[in-house]
Amino acid sequence: MAAIIELENISKHYSPTIIGVDNVSLTVEDGEFVTLLGPSGCGKSTLLRMIGGFEEPTGGAIRLADKDVTFDPPYKREVNMVFQDYALFPHMTIGENVAYGLKTFKLDKDTVRTRVKDALMLVGLYDKLNQRPQQLSGGQRQRIALARAIVRRPKVLLLDEPLSALDAKLREQMQIELKHLHEKVGITFIMVTHDQTEALVMSDRVVVMEKGRIAQEGRPQDLYDHPASPYVANFIGTTSFLPGKVSALSGGVATIAAGGTQITAHPDVTLSEGATVTVGVRPEKVKLLAEGETADNVFEGTIAEVIYYGLGLRISVTLADGSKIDADTLLPDKLSHSTLPQSGAPVRLGVAAHNVFVFEGTVTP
Amino acid sequence: MSFLRRNLPGMLVMGIPLMWIALFMLLPYGIIVTYSFWLKKYPTFIPAFQFGNYITIFTDPQYVRVFLRTLKISVLVSAASFLLAYPFAYYLVFRCRSAALRTWLYMAVIAPLWVSYLLRAYIWKTILGTEGVLNSFLMSLGIINEPSSLFLYNQFAMVVTLTYIFIPFMVMPIYTALEKIPTNLTEASADLGMGPWRSFWTVTLPLSLPGVAAGFTLTFCLSFGDFIAPFLVGGPDGNLIANVIATQFGAALNWPLGSALAIVMLVVVLTIVSLSDRMERKGMTGGV
Amino acid sequence: MTIKKTMLGTLGLLALTASPVLAEGTINVLTWEGYADPSFISKFEETSGCQVNATYVGSNDDFAPKLMAGGGVYDLITPSIDTTKLMIDLDFVEPLDTAKIEGWNDIYPKFLALDGIQKDGEYYGMPYSWGAIAFMYRDDAFDTPPTSIADLWREDLKGKISLWDDKSAIYVAARKNGDMNIYSLSDEQIAAAQKTLVEQKPLIRKYWATAGELVDLYKAGEVVISNTWAGYQSSLLADEGVKVTEFIPKEGAEGWLDSWMVVKGTPNKECAYKFLNMQLSELGQCGVANVNGYSAANASAAKSCMTPEQFAALHQDDPAYLDSLLIWTPLGDRFEAYTNAWNAVKAQ
Ligand SMILES: Nc1ncnc2c1ncn2[C@@H]1O[C@H](COP(=O)(O)OP(=O)(O)OP(=O)(O)O)[C@@H](O)[C@H]1O
Ligand SMILES: [Mg+2]
Repeated sequence: MAAIIELENISKHYSPTIIGVDNVSLTVEDGEFVTLLGPSGCGKSTLLRMIGGFEEPTGGAIRLADKDVTFDPPYKREVNMVFQDYALFPHMTIGENVAYGLKTFKLDKDTVRTRVKDALMLVGLYDKLNQRPQQLSGGQRQRIALARAIVRRPKVLLLDEPLSALDAKLREQMQIELKHLHEKVGITFIMVTHDQTEALVMSDRVVVMEKGRIAQEGRPQDLYDHPASPYVANFIGTTSFLPGKVSALSGGVATIAAGGTQITAHPDVTLSEGATVTVGVRPEKVKLLAEGETADNVFEGTIAEVIYYGLGLRISVTLADGSKIDADTLLPDKLSHSTLPQSGAPVRLGVAAHNVFVFEGTVTP
Repeated sequence: MSFLRRNLPGMLVMGIPLMWIALFMLLPYGIIVTYSFWLKKYPTFIPAFQFGNYITIFTDPQYVRVFLRTLKISVLVSAASFLLAYPFAYYLVFRCRSAALRTWLYMAVIAPLWVSYLLRAYIWKTILGTEGVLNSFLMSLGIINEPSSLFLYNQFAMVVTLTYIFIPFMVMPIYTALEKIPTNLTEASADLGMGPWRSFWTVTLPLSLPGVAAGFTLTFCLSFGDFIAPFLVGGPDGNLIANVIATQFGAALNWPLGSALAIVMLVVVLTIVSLSDRMERKGMTGGV
Repeated sequence: MTIKKTMLGTLGLLALTASPVLAEGTINVLTWEGYADPSFISKFEETSGCQVNATYVGSNDDFAPKLMAGGGVYDLITPSIDTTKLMIDLDFVEPLDTAKIEGWNDIYPKFLALDGIQKDGEYYGMPYSWGAIAFMYRDDAFDTPPTSIADLWREDLKGKISLWDDKSAIYVAARKNGDMNIYSLSDEQIAAAQKTLVEQKPLIRKYWATAGELVDLYKAGEVVISNTWAGYQSSLLADEGVKVTEFIPKEGAEGWLDSWMVVKGTPNKECAYKFLNMQLSELGQCGVANVNGYSAANASAAKSCMTPEQFAALHQDDPAYLDSLLIWTPLGDRFEAYTNAWNAVKAQ
């Protein structure tokens, strides 16, 4: 596969103190579905808007299909954007909205009609052809916005939080639809979101951003299994962090003093003996051990809090050295108070060695 | 009784404005309508029910002529205001980067509204006069050799003065309409391949039309009813319909004919207002 | 009870604020600027004990609408001789007790003979001041002084001519056409005058509506020839250093006469008659002559209070001049034909 978009040291400094994007380099392959993920204000939209041509970078270069487009206006780029609140033209019908982007192509009437029809069929809203955007629901408008962008057959489709205005149910449904759509049309998608589930569900590759820079990029499962920093570990999924110290190293296995015990781990980074580290454990990888049961690593503590969250329970445990760790567990078969763990009760928690993250330093995310 | 007591506050809340409207709007119109059927008879006029006054208005060419002239002046004032106000409002909303400058410029256009109408009209008299500012300026530039009398006491001067006086009523609604257009719509247009000009024609302008309609209505109706500008800067061919009405109520002592003229004028204005209202409402369904 | 009281109080307050003070000893006059000038009214107020409130009109057309709006406000008015008859016919004014007016018999007999101020053998108006609707030109604009109304139709003066925005324009045009019966024109004569005025329109800079406006037009160099209220605007222009000359064209000039009239049912009769006596005395007669430059109606008062030069300049003892003027005459039911023609000219 060839690179369709190349960002080379792209920066956008609104002012010396307001930095939107800082020195970002990124290559997107043709046909890929890439997500820019990060908290509010981290520069996702700014980066996307520079690709679309709505902002000019203060440094670096953007190449689209090997052509430098850094300072081209939006109407000269073969990319299209799906705006966060859809930006449908209220004074035009759905059909006119979708046909709008074809005007510059100087196509004959029939071609326009079939392409508009195809695009609307693709999103399943051909029957709304003569209605106005105001007469449509949020999810329908979302799909029209998609059709309007796709009808131009751009090289790249940019989506800025396309689903954020939808309710949770519809959002889940649209995530799948959008993914199928991507597979169907074969266009490169670059999507912005601050919702990690969305990113994990939909994308081939996730770019996690932090304060205008790329914190880590990779396939969703790689980011999940091998976060490069506590920031990423906490942004993709949830992670409990424990301060620790490397007590022994042998081969790929490290022994670390943490949580009032000695644990074993397979760190992604090279450590030195005696180094101060931060250990991370995902709640869903922590198991409540029954009497006599054992695991690679066993923590002992008392239950501080039990939170019921629908699918299961999250149990917050205070360990011997005072640090805290969360454990998720599915609900027992029969939901009755007697079988639920109680606050103040002593527990034993088990974690497999390959499920322990080790980060250098004492950074708290 | 209990019904009354319970509904008294509601009746007061609704009743007072209704009475106000009845007393200060409907009653005067009723009186004018009544007069319009009366008959002029020395020394004044007598009650009657006849359409003579209306027939006079539509058959005596002097009234038709003044109506057409007033229409022409009002259309020119509205058009001139539009041509000046639109680019100005557009600049303020989309091009002016500094918020302070924007407020300042906006106030500069609106502030004259707080200055007396007469004073503002007089200013134009001193600018456009034969020995006025404009003539001195043009002579100092050597563009003309002797003062021109072409600027004052004619329809041009009236259009200029009325445009100056009523342009805030064009700027305000257009500014508001432009400000309401989400920026992402113009971005979307650019994104879909349209250059700035075509984006303007296909997105910005259509979406600002309700404001333009409101501005046209205001400036048109205000100019249509004006009688000061003809008096101050108009020439011998500057008589407008409001001047004629004033004459009928004053010098000619023909209140019936004056009333009939006022009713015809009211009908013209109401027609314009309802047309523009329909347009605005149409814009609304297309609005954001 | 309390509500009633408050309402009465409010009504009283409304009455107080809505109209000038109505108390005995105060008279409200609706008149021309200068006719109640402090230069002579103050003295009257001191000696008579009557207060004078003056409201000014800009034109004779203001009297009827102001009085129609509701009575009881004004005690005295000063319409010109073409409007006095209308006031009588509208029943706005009451007959004068001429016996109570000292100096009545010193008024020029020509004025007392006018129809416009009497009805059924009774006088309704007291002649006060008079003058001509003369013509006026800017000295520096003419090598040979104009002498004819036709000069207001000269192509070479295009854009420098002004005419009073009044039905009197018909009188002017009629005379230019050779019709000297200007107050009894036939429909054809009026139509001809209208046509003559329409021909003049392209030459007109502006029709003047107020005295001040004409002064401004001359001052700003917009206008060099026009008609004028003799004595008034020319003296204002002289004060401004603009040199103008008044002239009576060979087609003659109209004359006007303003008369004091007592509004019907005035509660201030005593002060009203004191006021009339003062205005016809030397105080009032020379007062208005000095302030407005108008001629006086009381021959003997004028003689004793004016300097010989002023006396001559105002044509006070010049029967030939007075006779040459075409004194305004009420148009009666022909009024509409005149105003309509003039309005049609303006509409053109
Ligand atoms: N026009 C602008 N002028 C100045 N600063 C800006 C501008 N636009 C964005 N910024 C700043 O740049 C930074 C990145 O903004 P950006 O909109 O890219 O964030 P984001 O990641 O999209 O956040 P969100 O999830 O809230 O949309 C923020 O600190 C923001 O305040
Ligand atoms: Mg954003």
